Amino acid sequence: MKMTKIKTDNKCRQIRTWLYANLNRHFGPEANWLNNHIMHCPRCQRRLISCSKVNLAISFMKSQPHNLDLLMRANAQAVAVLKHSLRHEPKAQELKRKLPEPRFTENCGKYGHSVANLAACILIMLLMKMGVFSSMDNFQSQGQKVIRQYYSRQIGKDLTDEIFPEETMPSHSINPRRFTNI
Amino acid sequence: MTLMFSRAISYRSVWDFTAPDSIVESQRWILSTMQKYGQELVTMLWRILGNEQDVCDAYQDTFLQLAHHEGGLKPRNVKAYVFRVANNIAVSMLRRRVAERNKLPMSVTTGKAISSPVKELDSKYLQEILRDCIAQLPEHLRNVITLRDLAELSYAQIGRILGISSATARVYRCKAVQLLAVWMGREE
Repeated sequence: MKMTKIKTDNKCRQIRTWLYANLNRHFGPEANWLNNHIMHCPRCQRRLISCSKVNLAISFMKSQPHNLDLLMRANAQAVAVLKHSLRHEPKAQELKRKLPEPRFTENCGKYGHSVANLAACILIMLLMKMGVFSSMDNFQSQGQKVIRQYYSRQIGKDLTDEIFPEETMPSHSINPRRFTNI
Repeated sequence: MTLMFSRAISYRSVWDFTAPDSIVESQRWILSTMQKYGQELVTMLWRILGNEQDVCDAYQDTFLQLAHHEGGLKPRNVKAYVFRVANNIAVSMLRRRVAERNKLPMSVTTGKAISSPVKELDSKYLQEILRDCIAQLPEHLRNVITLRDLAELSYAQIGRILGISSATARVYRCKAVQLLAVWMGREE
Protein backbone atom coordinates (compact mmCIF):
# COMPACT_ATOMS: atom_id res chain seq x y z
CA MET A 1 0.00 0.00 0.00
CA LYS A 2 2.78 2.36 1.05
CA MET A 3 4.92 1.39 -1.95
CA THR A 4 2.03 2.13 -4.32
CA LYS A 5 1.63 5.56 -2.76
CA ILE A 6 5.36 6.31 -3.17
CA LYS A 7 5.22 5.18 -6.81
CA THR A 8 2.19 7.36 -7.49
CA ASP A 9 3.91 10.34 -5.80
CA ASN A 10 7.02 9.86 -7.95
CA LYS A 11 4.89 9.70 -11.09
CA CYS A 12 3.02 12.82 -10.06
CA ARG A 13 6.32 14.61 -9.44
CA GLN A 14 7.64 13.54 -12.83
CA ILE A 15 4.50 14.80 -14.55
CA ARG A 16 4.68 18.08 -12.64
CA THR A 17 8.35 18.59 -13.53
CA TRP A 18 7.69 17.77 -17.17
CA LEU A 19 4.70 20.09 -17.25
CA TYR A 20 6.57 23.02 -15.67
CA ALA A 21 9.56 22.54 -17.98
CA ASN A 22 7.37 22.45 -21.08
CA LEU A 23 5.23 25.36 -19.98
CA ASN A 24 8.33 27.40 -19.24
CA ARG A 25 9.82 26.54 -22.61
CA HIS A 26 6.71 27.50 -24.54
CA PHE A 27 5.13 30.18 -22.38
CA GLY A 28 7.94 31.37 -20.09
CA PRO A 29 9.85 34.65 -20.35
CA GLU A 30 12.51 33.01 -22.51
CA ALA A 31 10.06 31.82 -25.18
CA ASN A 32 10.96 32.95 -28.70
CA TRP A 33 7.49 34.10 -29.70
CA LEU A 34 7.32 36.27 -26.56
CA ASN A 35 10.73 37.85 -27.24
CA ASN A 36 9.67 38.56 -30.84
CA HIS A 37 6.46 40.16 -29.63
CA ILE A 38 8.23 42.32 -27.04
CA MET A 39 10.68 43.52 -29.69
CA HIS A 40 7.80 45.06 -31.65
CA CYS A 41 5.39 46.07 -28.87
CA PRO A 42 6.18 49.33 -27.03
CA ARG A 43 3.52 48.66 -24.36
CA CYS A 44 5.02 45.29 -23.41
CA GLN A 45 8.49 46.83 -23.54
CA ARG A 46 7.39 49.39 -20.95
CA ARG A 47 5.92 46.64 -18.75
CA LEU A 48 9.08 44.55 -19.01
CA ILE A 49 11.22 47.56 -18.14
CA SER A 50 9.06 48.27 -15.08
CA CYS A 51 9.29 44.66 -13.87
CA SER A 52 13.05 44.68 -14.42
CA LYS A 53 13.26 47.93 -12.48
CA VAL A 54 11.49 46.28 -9.51
CA ASN A 55 13.90 43.34 -9.64
CA LEU A 56 16.84 45.73 -9.93
CA ALA A 57 15.68 47.72 -6.90
CA ILE A 58 15.25 44.49 -4.90
CA SER A 59 18.77 43.44 -5.90
CA PHE A 60 20.09 46.83 -4.75
CA MET A 61 18.32 46.38 -1.41
CA LYS A 62 19.78 42.92 -0.98
CA SER A 63 23.31 43.95 -1.88
CA GLN A 64 23.42 46.94 0.47
CA PRO A 65 25.76 46.01 3.35
CA HIS A 66 25.19 47.05 6.95
CA ASN A 67 27.75 47.55 9.71
CA LEU A 68 29.21 44.37 11.11
CA ASP A 69 28.11 45.20 14.64
CA LEU A 70 24.43 45.80 13.78
CA LEU A 71 23.30 42.40 15.09
CA MET A 72 25.27 42.96 18.28
CA ARG A 73 23.70 46.40 18.82
CA ALA A 74 20.19 45.16 18.02
CA ASN A 75 20.57 42.25 20.44
CA ALA A 76 21.94 44.53 23.17
CA GLN A 77 19.01 46.93 22.73
CA ALA A 78 16.45 44.12 22.76
CA VAL A 79 18.00 42.34 25.75
CA ALA A 80 18.00 45.61 27.69
CA VAL A 81 14.19 45.67 27.81
CA LEU A 82 13.74 42.08 28.93
CA LYS A 83 13.21 41.00 32.54
CA HIS A 84 16.17 41.80 34.81
CA SER A 85 17.06 38.16 35.50
CA LEU A 86 16.96 37.31 31.79
CA ARG A 87 19.34 40.18 31.09
CA HIS A 88 22.01 38.55 33.24
CA GLU A 89 21.73 35.11 31.69
CA PRO A 90 25.00 33.89 30.06
CA LYS A 91 23.09 33.52 26.78
CA ALA A 92 22.11 37.18 26.91
CA GLN A 93 25.73 38.19 27.38
CA GLU A 94 26.65 35.98 24.45
CA LEU A 95 23.97 37.64 22.30
CA LYS A 96 25.36 41.07 23.08
CA ARG A 97 28.67 40.04 21.56
CA LYS A 98 27.26 38.08 18.62
CA LEU A 99 28.48 38.93 15.14
CA PRO A 100 26.76 37.86 11.92
CA GLU A 101 27.94 34.49 10.65
CA PRO A 102 27.70 33.26 7.09
CA ARG A 103 25.18 30.49 6.50
CA PHE A 104 26.31 26.88 6.49
CA THR A 105 25.81 26.57 2.72
CA GLU A 106 27.73 29.80 2.11
CA ASN A 107 30.51 28.52 4.35
CA CYS A 108 30.71 25.21 2.56
CA GLY A 109 30.41 26.80 -0.86
CA LYS A 110 34.05 27.86 -1.01
CA TYR A 111 35.21 24.33 -0.18
CA GLY A 112 32.95 22.76 -2.81
CA HIS A 113 35.60 22.58 -5.55
CA SER A 114 38.27 21.26 -3.16
CA VAL A 115 35.92 18.56 -1.86
CA ALA A 116 34.98 17.55 -5.42
CA ASN A 117 38.66 17.38 -6.42
CA LEU A 118 39.54 15.34 -3.35
CA ALA A 119 36.67 12.92 -4.00
CA ALA A 120 37.76 12.52 -7.62
CA CYS A 121 41.38 11.84 -6.53
CA ILE A 122 40.27 9.23 -3.98
CA LEU A 123 38.10 7.52 -6.59
CA ILE A 124 40.93 7.45 -9.14
CA MET A 125 43.32 6.08 -6.51
CA LEU A 126 40.85 3.36 -5.54
CA LEU A 127 40.28 2.38 -9.15
CA MET A 128 44.03 2.36 -9.81
CA LYS A 129 44.67 0.28 -6.72
CA MET A 130 41.99 -2.24 -7.67
CA GLY A 131 43.26 -2.40 -11.24
CA VAL A 132 46.94 -2.74 -10.28
CA PHE A 133 46.32 -5.43 -7.68
CA SER A 134 44.06 -7.51 -9.92
CA SER A 135 46.57 -7.24 -12.82
CA MET A 136 49.44 -8.30 -10.55
CA ASP A 137 47.45 -11.25 -9.30
CA ASN A 138 46.54 -12.23 -12.83
CA PHE A 139 50.12 -11.80 -13.99
CA GLN A 140 51.43 -14.02 -11.15
CA SER A 141 48.96 -16.85 -11.77
CA GLN A 142 49.54 -16.77 -15.55
CA GLY A 143 53.32 -16.84 -15.01
CA GLN A 144 53.12 -19.82 -12.70
CA LYS A 145 50.90 -21.68 -15.17
CA VAL A 146 53.36 -21.08 -17.99
CA ILE A 147 56.35 -22.24 -15.92
CA ARG A 148 54.45 -25.35 -14.79
CA GLN A 149 53.49 -26.22 -18.36
CA TYR A 150 57.08 -25.72 -19.46
CA TYR A 151 58.43 -28.03 -16.74
CA SER A 152 55.77 -30.66 -17.31
CA ARG A 153 56.65 -30.71 -21.01
CA GLN A 154 60.40 -30.94 -20.29
CA ILE A 155 60.64 -33.22 -17.27
CA GLY A 156 57.23 -34.85 -16.98
CA LYS A 157 54.10 -34.30 -14.92
CA ASP A 158 55.11 -36.25 -11.82
CA LEU A 159 58.33 -34.38 -11.30
CA THR A 160 56.61 -31.06 -11.98
CA ASP A 161 54.03 -31.84 -9.29
CA GLU A 162 56.86 -32.51 -6.88
CA ILE A 163 58.64 -29.26 -7.75
CA PHE A 164 55.45 -27.20 -7.79
CA PRO A 165 53.19 -28.61 -5.11
CA GLU A 166 49.50 -27.55 -5.13
CA GLU A 167 50.03 -25.14 -2.14
CA THR A 168 52.30 -22.87 -4.13
CA MET A 169 49.61 -22.30 -6.78
CA PRO A 170 47.33 -19.33 -6.32
CA SER A 171 43.99 -20.36 -4.89
CA HIS A 172 41.91 -19.44 -7.96
CA SER A 173 44.26 -21.29 -10.36
CA ILE A 174 43.91 -24.69 -8.56
CA ASN A 175 41.83 -27.07 -10.57
CA PRO A 176 39.09 -28.49 -8.34
CA ARG A 177 39.03 -31.74 -10.36
CA ARG A 178 42.45 -32.66 -8.90
CA PHE A 179 41.01 -32.85 -5.41
CA THR A 180 38.35 -35.29 -6.60
CA ASN A 181 41.09 -37.57 -7.98
CA ILE A 182 42.72 -37.75 -4.54
CA MET B 1 12.00 57.44 19.22
CA THR B 2 11.22 59.17 22.52
CA LEU B 3 7.79 57.58 22.50
CA MET B 4 9.32 54.19 21.89
CA PHE B 5 11.88 54.70 24.65
CA SER B 6 9.25 55.71 27.15
CA ARG B 7 7.14 52.72 26.13
CA ALA B 8 10.14 50.46 26.59
CA ILE B 9 10.77 51.86 30.07
CA SER B 10 7.15 51.40 31.06
CA TYR B 11 7.14 47.82 29.73
CA ARG B 12 10.37 47.17 31.59
CA SER B 13 9.10 48.40 34.92
CA VAL B 14 5.85 46.50 34.58
CA TRP B 15 7.73 43.39 33.58
CA ASP B 16 10.20 43.65 36.46
CA PHE B 17 7.68 43.95 39.24
CA THR B 18 4.65 41.99 38.19
CA ALA B 19 5.88 38.82 36.52
CA PRO B 20 6.27 35.85 38.85
CA ASP B 21 9.65 34.10 38.96
CA SER B 22 8.29 30.90 37.44
CA ILE B 23 7.30 32.80 34.29
CA VAL B 24 10.72 34.43 34.16
CA GLU B 25 12.40 31.05 34.43
CA SER B 26 10.29 29.70 31.63
CA GLN B 27 11.02 32.70 29.38
CA ARG B 28 14.53 31.65 28.47
CA TRP B 29 13.10 30.63 25.09
CA ILE B 30 13.04 34.32 24.16
CA LEU B 31 16.83 34.38 24.26
CA SER B 32 16.94 31.14 22.25
CA THR B 33 14.60 32.69 19.69
CA MET B 34 16.83 35.74 19.51
CA GLN B 35 19.83 33.51 18.98
CA LYS B 36 18.12 31.39 16.35
CA TYR B 37 16.34 33.99 14.22
CA GLY B 38 18.14 37.20 15.20
CA GLN B 39 20.44 37.32 12.22
CA GLU B 40 17.68 36.65 9.68
CA LEU B 41 15.44 39.22 11.33
CA VAL B 42 18.13 41.90 11.36
CA THR B 43 18.87 41.24 7.68
CA MET B 44 15.19 41.49 6.77
CA LEU B 45 14.67 44.65 8.82
CA TRP B 46 17.78 46.25 7.36
CA ARG B 47 16.57 45.57 3.84
CA ILE B 48 13.11 46.93 4.58
CA LEU B 49 14.20 49.99 6.53
CA GLY B 50 17.72 50.78 5.33
CA ASN B 51 18.52 52.61 8.55
CA GLU B 52 20.46 51.01 11.41
CA GLN B 53 18.78 52.86 14.28
CA ASP B 54 15.34 51.99 12.91
CA VAL B 55 16.44 48.36 12.59
CA CYS B 56 17.46 48.28 16.27
CA ASP B 57 14.16 49.89 17.32
CA ALA B 58 12.04 47.51 15.24
CA TYR B 59 14.02 44.52 16.53
CA GLN B 60 13.56 45.65 20.11
CA ASP B 61 9.83 46.16 19.62
CA THR B 62 9.51 42.70 18.06
CA PHE B 63 11.02 40.97 21.08
CA LEU B 64 9.11 43.19 23.47
CA GLN B 65 5.87 42.06 21.83
CA LEU B 66 7.07 38.46 21.93
CA ALA B 67 7.81 38.71 25.66
CA HIS B 68 4.30 40.07 26.28
CA HIS B 69 2.47 37.67 24.01
CA GLU B 70 -0.56 36.40 25.98
CA GLY B 71 1.02 37.18 29.33
CA GLY B 72 4.40 35.72 28.51
CA LEU B 73 3.30 32.49 26.87
CA LYS B 74 5.30 31.05 24.01
CA PRO B 75 3.45 31.33 20.68
CA ARG B 76 2.73 28.05 18.90
CA ASN B 77 4.88 29.01 15.90
CA VAL B 78 7.58 31.35 17.21
CA LYS B 79 9.25 31.85 13.82
CA ALA B 80 5.99 32.85 12.19
CA TYR B 81 5.20 35.19 15.05
CA VAL B 82 8.53 37.04 15.11
CA PHE B 83 8.72 37.39 11.33
CA ARG B 84 5.18 38.71 11.04
CA VAL B 85 5.55 41.09 13.95
CA ALA B 86 8.92 42.38 12.71
CA ASN B 87 7.48 42.83 9.25
CA ASN B 88 4.47 44.77 10.50
CA ILE B 89 6.56 47.00 12.75
CA ALA B 90 9.02 47.75 9.94
CA VAL B 91 6.22 48.63 7.52
CA SER B 92 4.56 50.89 10.11
CA MET B 93 7.89 52.69 10.47
CA LEU B 94 8.19 53.00 6.69
CA ARG B 95 4.69 54.47 6.43
CA ARG B 96 5.44 56.94 9.21
CA ARG B 97 8.62 57.96 7.41
CA VAL B 98 6.74 58.45 4.12
CA ALA B 99 4.06 60.51 5.87
CA GLU B 100 6.71 62.70 7.52
CA ARG B 101 8.46 63.21 4.19
CA ASN B 102 5.20 64.14 2.50
CA LYS B 103 4.62 66.84 5.11
CA LEU B 104 7.88 68.55 4.12
CA PRO B 105 7.78 71.10 1.28
CA MET B 106 8.95 69.87 -2.15
CA SER B 107 12.14 71.96 -2.04
CA VAL B 108 13.40 70.13 1.07
CA THR B 109 12.75 66.62 -0.31
CA THR B 110 15.07 64.95 -2.80
CA GLY B 111 13.11 66.15 -5.79
CA LYS B 112 11.40 62.94 -6.79
CA ALA B 113 9.56 64.59 -9.65
CA ILE B 114 12.69 65.27 -11.66
CA SER B 115 13.28 62.23 -13.81
CA SER B 116 16.42 61.45 -15.73
CA PRO B 117 18.04 58.26 -17.11
CA VAL B 118 20.90 58.61 -14.62
CA LYS B 119 18.48 58.88 -11.72
CA GLU B 120 16.46 55.90 -12.92
CA LEU B 121 19.50 53.70 -12.32
CA ASP B 122 20.54 55.41 -9.10
CA SER B 123 20.61 52.73 -6.43
CA LYS B 124 19.44 54.86 -3.51
CA TYR B 125 16.67 56.48 -5.49
CA LEU B 126 15.33 53.13 -6.70
CA GLN B 127 15.48 51.66 -3.21
CA GLU B 128 13.64 54.61 -1.74
CA ILE B 129 10.87 54.40 -4.34
CA LEU B 130 10.54 50.66 -3.84
CA ARG B 131 10.28 51.10 -0.06
CA ASP B 132 7.52 53.68 -0.50
CA CYS B 133 5.66 51.35 -2.86
CA ILE B 134 6.07 48.31 -0.59
CA ALA B 135 4.58 50.30 2.28
CA GLN B 136 1.48 50.95 0.14
CA LEU B 137 0.94 47.31 -0.87
CA PRO B 138 -2.00 45.36 0.59
CA GLU B 139 -0.94 43.31 3.60
CA HIS B 140 -1.17 39.84 2.00
CA LEU B 141 1.00 40.87 -0.98
CA ARG B 142 3.42 42.89 1.14
CA ASN B 143 4.04 40.01 3.56
CA VAL B 144 4.92 37.67 0.72
CA ILE B 145 7.26 40.05 -1.08
CA THR B 146 9.15 41.00 2.09
CA LEU B 147 9.48 37.43 3.29
CA ARG B 148 10.44 36.09 -0.14
CA ASP B 149 12.67 38.81 -1.54
CA LEU B 150 14.01 40.56 1.53
CA ALA B 151 14.13 37.75 4.12
CA GLU B 152 14.97 35.20 1.40
CA LEU B 153 12.70 32.50 2.81
CA SER B 154 11.42 29.67 0.64
CA TYR B 155 7.81 29.60 -0.56
CA ALA B 156 7.17 26.60 1.70
CA GLN B 157 8.43 28.52 4.75
CA ILE B 158 6.38 31.58 3.75
CA GLY B 159 3.32 29.36 3.40
CA ARG B 160 3.83 28.03 6.92
CA ILE B 161 4.40 31.52 8.35
CA LEU B 162 1.37 33.10 6.70
CA GLY B 163 -0.88 30.04 6.80
CA ILE B 164 -1.26 29.79 3.02
CA SER B 165 -0.10 27.25 0.44
CA SER B 166 3.21 27.77 -1.34
CA ALA B 167 1.35 28.06 -4.68
CA THR B 168 -0.72 30.91 -3.26
CA ALA B 169 2.47 32.56 -2.03
CA ARG B 170 3.89 32.37 -5.58
CA VAL B 171 0.75 33.95 -7.02
CA TYR B 172 0.82 36.74 -4.40
CA ARG B 173 4.48 37.45 -5.16
CA CYS B 174 3.74 37.69 -8.86
CA LYS B 175 0.83 40.07 -8.22
CA ALA B 176 2.95 42.16 -5.86
CA VAL B 177 5.72 42.55 -8.46
CA GLN B 178 3.17 43.57 -11.11
CA LEU B 179 1.65 46.14 -8.79
CA LEU B 180 5.05 47.48 -7.75
CA ALA B 181 6.08 47.75 -11.41
CA VAL B 182 3.01 49.84 -12.22
CA TRP B 183 3.44 52.07 -9.17
CA MET B 184 7.17 52.53 -9.69
CA GLY B 185 6.53 53.52 -13.29
CA ARG B 186 3.96 56.05 -12.11
CA GLU B 187 6.28 57.47 -9.41
CA GLU B 188 8.75 58.55 -12.07
